[in-house]
Amino acid sequence: MAPKTKNALFSLGLTALVAGCGPSSNISKEADHEITNATMGSMLDSKPDSPIHTIVMPHDEPVFPPGPGRDEFVTACVVCHSPRYITMQPRFSRTVWLAEVNKMKNVYGAHISDEQVLKIKDYLVSINGEPDAAHDPSVAKYGE
Amino acid sequence: MNRRRFLQLVGATGVAALTSSCKRMTSKVGTPSSRTNLIRFPEKTEMIFLTDRPPQLETPIHYFRQDLTPNEAFFVRWHLQGIPTSVDLRTFRLNVSGHVRQPLQLSVDDLRSQFEPISIIAVNQCSGNSRSFFEPRVPGGQWKHGAVGNAKWTGVSAKSILDRAQVKSGAVDVSFNGLDVPPLPSVADFVKALSFDHARDGEVMIAYAMNDQTLPMVNGFPLRLVVPGWYGTYWVKALSDITVLPHDFHNYWTDIGYRIPNAPNGTESPKDLAKDTIPINRFNVRSIFVRPEPDEILRPGVPNEIEGVAFDSGHGIRRVELSTDGGATWADARLDSEIGKYSWRRWRSSWTPRNRGQYRLMARATNAIGETQSKEQWNRSGFMWNVIQQVDVKVA
Repeated sequence: MAPKTKNALFSLGLTALVAGCGPSSNISKEADHEITNATMGSMLDSKPDSPIHTIVMPHDEPVFPPGPGRDEFVTACVVCHSPRYITMQPRFSRTVWLAEVNKMKNVYGAHISDEQVLKIKDYLVSINGEPDAAHDPSVAKYGE
Repeated sequence: MNRRRFLQLVGATGVAALTSSCKRMTSKVGTPSSRTNLIRFPEKTEMIFLTDRPPQLETPIHYFRQDLTPNEAFFVRWHLQGIPTSVDLRTFRLNVSGHVRQPLQLSVDDLRSQFEPISIIAVNQCSGNSRSFFEPRVPGGQWKHGAVGNAKWTGVSAKSILDRAQVKSGAVDVSFNGLDVPPLPSVADFVKALSFDHARDGEVMIAYAMNDQTLPMVNGFPLRLVVPGWYGTYWVKALSDITVLPHDFHNYWTDIGYRIPNAPNGTESPKDLAKDTIPINRFNVRSIFVRPEPDEILRPGVPNEIEGVAFDSGHGIRRVELSTDGGATWADARLDSEIGKYSWRRWRSSWTPRNRGQYRLMARATNAIGETQSKEQWNRSGFMWNVIQQVDVKVA
């Protein structure tokens, strides 16, 4: 299998996130509504006849409330994926969130200790949790 | 800060910052009652925003008024944040290797000029389309009904490429890898496989065009695997490597991810999870309302146009029934002509409600071999939703 990097450049994930322009100035105004309708004009950097086809990806930069486990969450989770993976979910129980964090550690190999798993779980429950359910079917999810 | 306020803030900051080029967005505020959060990605129109990294974008339902879903509105779903953002067609090659006598390195120009082009109209649907309707709720991309689209795909059959590579006897599986890369070495690269016989069936194809245009980058430019009738997880984007194997293919995305209960319609009970599971495969039969949309207000005493799209894995839609009284009575909808066995088929009806009030519309599709939609369905991953859709509307 040929090295993929021969063929393409890749988005730089965190680098791009950090290099962003900072938060927009009208957050509080927009926050009164539940819609953000982001229009960006053309983000296509390629010239029409260029053999090199390039795009510039938008990046989210959400604000997370302070609380126990926030630092662990920001450091460990956002390295690999958008925090919207948490905020788009319905409220889940402590059991589900623990299973999700453990999946990230055990299945995907996130670099977090067992102690950090618990802190991250607590933070996720604090921002998007529900009271413990008697039975939780989602714990054994297949990993997709 | 409560959850609601927090989610508002997260949504509101939206795409607040861009990459180093520092392009600034302009934001506009929608109606306060709308919970829809839209975003525009490169080469795309405004889409329902699930996640940005990696991108997961859902098609607003009104685009399904067209038989072919526009490229700029076609749904997007990647698994790994390292997606390709630049491809140089002078150096890009589709590599064909493994259990073959003649490994190939093909440019997109080679594919266009050296092989017979084929076209097929086919639905692509995410395994998790409509996941947010499962109860109890399950974790994962919280799609509504818009992680699906119908397009005319043009390219080269996988068969013709495999034949040119002179596959050795004893081939079992063929794996397909794209340009996306994992964020950590411990994360499995996204690679999917089909059986050799399936890959060589003449319908599985490597597409270089979608609706007669090149693919948007986030839909898999420059090449995408097309697996008619099968869930989108097999439609590998930015396809770069085809490997023929003399044995079964195994990885995380096949052995652990994207599995369904080995039971009718992939259903299991939350209280008794299936132990026997299989990889997800062909679409089940389903219909999606296009008009009206939920909470739309219709007029009494005049005809209101009702329409939707229905599809299955290629047997063909033979009947769609519509109920306007919550399932008590049903009447056949009119079917548009078929435009391809893997395409969706549009159905229409005209409904003149006599009285004002709340109504529940339902649509139920049946295919050529008598398969129809579920009354109830659940699985732990939120896959293969095909419960008979209900749309509540007000007549006023």
